[in-house]
Amino acid sequence: MVNRLLLLLLFTTLAQSKEPPSLVQQNCLECHSRQKIPSELIYRRYLMKLSTHERIAKYLFAYLKNPKIENSIMPKQFFLKFPQKKALDLNDTVLKESIEAYLDYFDVRKKLQLRDK
Amino acid sequence: MLSSEKRSLIRFLVIYLGSTFVLFALGTYIFYNFQKHQILDSQNDKLQLKSEQIVQKLRELHQTFDKPLLYPNDPSFDSAIYDLDKAYIFGTFNPKKIVWEKEFYRDGDKLFYLYRMQPYYLGAAYLLVSQTFNKKPLEALVKMLVLFLIGAGVLLTLLGLFLGRLFTAPMRESIEMMDRFIEDTTHELNTPVSTILSNIELIDTLYECEGKTEMKRIEMASKTLSRLYEDLTFLKLNHNYHRKIEKLNLSNLLIERLEFCDTLIEAKAIKVVKDIAPDIFIEMDRNDAIRLLDNILSNAIKYNYKSGRIEVMLTAGKLEIINDGEGIRKEDIRLIQRRFKRANSSEGGFGIGLDIIGQIAKWYNFKLEIISDTNQPTKVIISW
Repeated sequence: MVNRLLLLLLFTTLAQSKEPPSLVQQNCLECHSRQKIPSELIYRRYLMKLSTHERIAKYLFAYLKNPKIENSIMPKQFFLKFPQKKALDLNDTVLKESIEAYLDYFDVRKKLQLRDK
Repeated sequence: MLSSEKRSLIRFLVIYLGSTFVLFALGTYIFYNFQKHQILDSQNDKLQLKSEQIVQKLRELHQTFDKPLLYPNDPSFDSAIYDLDKAYIFGTFNPKKIVWEKEFYRDGDKLFYLYRMQPYYLGAAYLLVSQTFNKKPLEALVKMLVLFLIGAGVLLTLLGLFLGRLFTAPMRESIEMMDRFIEDTTHELNTPVSTILSNIELIDTLYECEGKTEMKRIEMASKTLSRLYEDLTFLKLNHNYHRKIEKLNLSNLLIERLEFCDTLIEAKAIKVVKDIAPDIFIEMDRNDAIRLLDNILSNAIKYNYKSGRIEVMLTAGKLEIINDGEGIRKEDIRLIQRRFKRANSSEGGFGIGLDIIGQIAKWYNFKLEIISDTNQPTKVIISW
């Protein structure tokens, strides 16, 4: 039992210390961190509204190509506190890869666990 | 209990118990289904309640998004969440077959509840909750219903028996009255018939009588009365009568009984064709054999046309008597074998002849066949 608890602690620590992929760090989180825009909150919002990985990816891509308040999934009040994003200077392939890496980094499936009995 | 009363009682019980059983079975079936749905609904309610608790927990997890997200699990229930494209996200189980169209469904001994979530906490658009169907209340219900049916069956059978006996009482009384009447008549007939017959015999032997034709008529009438007396005695004593089984020369007895019926045969000018094999023996009581032969011959004479024809054939193991006449409708053949039933009332009699023939045949395990139809000769075959 003690061994299992130690293992769980080790994995949890490793997961928590897991660094985001360079692509996400470079294209997303760097700016988000600097401007203190909560990436996780945005992901949760997408998850709650769109449910699936594919739908979120599609919606994100569309928004990032044309970042306007009316295209965003976030409520209007959000933009009162955080600045409106400028269009990224990335080609479609890199943008899609970045979105995939972002969604993979926050993926809820990887976070969910069964309570240890 | 009289056989006709028994028959009526059985018919009544079959109809009464049959219809009551069908009615009870239908009622029980409806009640069982209603209760089964109640049991199912109560277990589905539990699933629904559990799903609400899980959704609440998922909402909390979605808001906190703590690492790791501890999925709410309960050992009594299984649950899983699916995204909008019905792809599995997480859960305590992952069934292969999911009925997405139904809210509640049952697969084997598992009950399922599919809850459509909105908003999609943790991306979950569907929550599937399942538990094993608790069969105990259903088993208890079946046990109770079976006991109820057995109890009701016993009670209704007793009631049916009581009612049946009540309804057949007038019929029983009538039959008993008729039996008593026959018994009394038989008793009263015995002495005068014997006296007449013995005196005719004496007159015939001792005196030269001028009125031969009139004497013949008296003899014929007396023999008819005598046979009637014998038949009624047979019916009265059939089951209590001690039979003396002996090796009987049936050929001789048949010739003797034909001679006994001579007067009746002559009166109707019937032509008798005999084909009697000599020395056919049979293990039988003499009186029974006489009753059997007399009744077949009497019917063959009685229901024959004037100047008709009777064929009497006796071979080893088979007696066949064919007579002309109006014949018997095929559908009446079974009916007339019952006591007091007659297909043709044009001739006198009580309708006991074939009943006696049938009873004797049954007692000795003989095969009795009556072949006839309207305007066809009647063929009576006894085989052993």
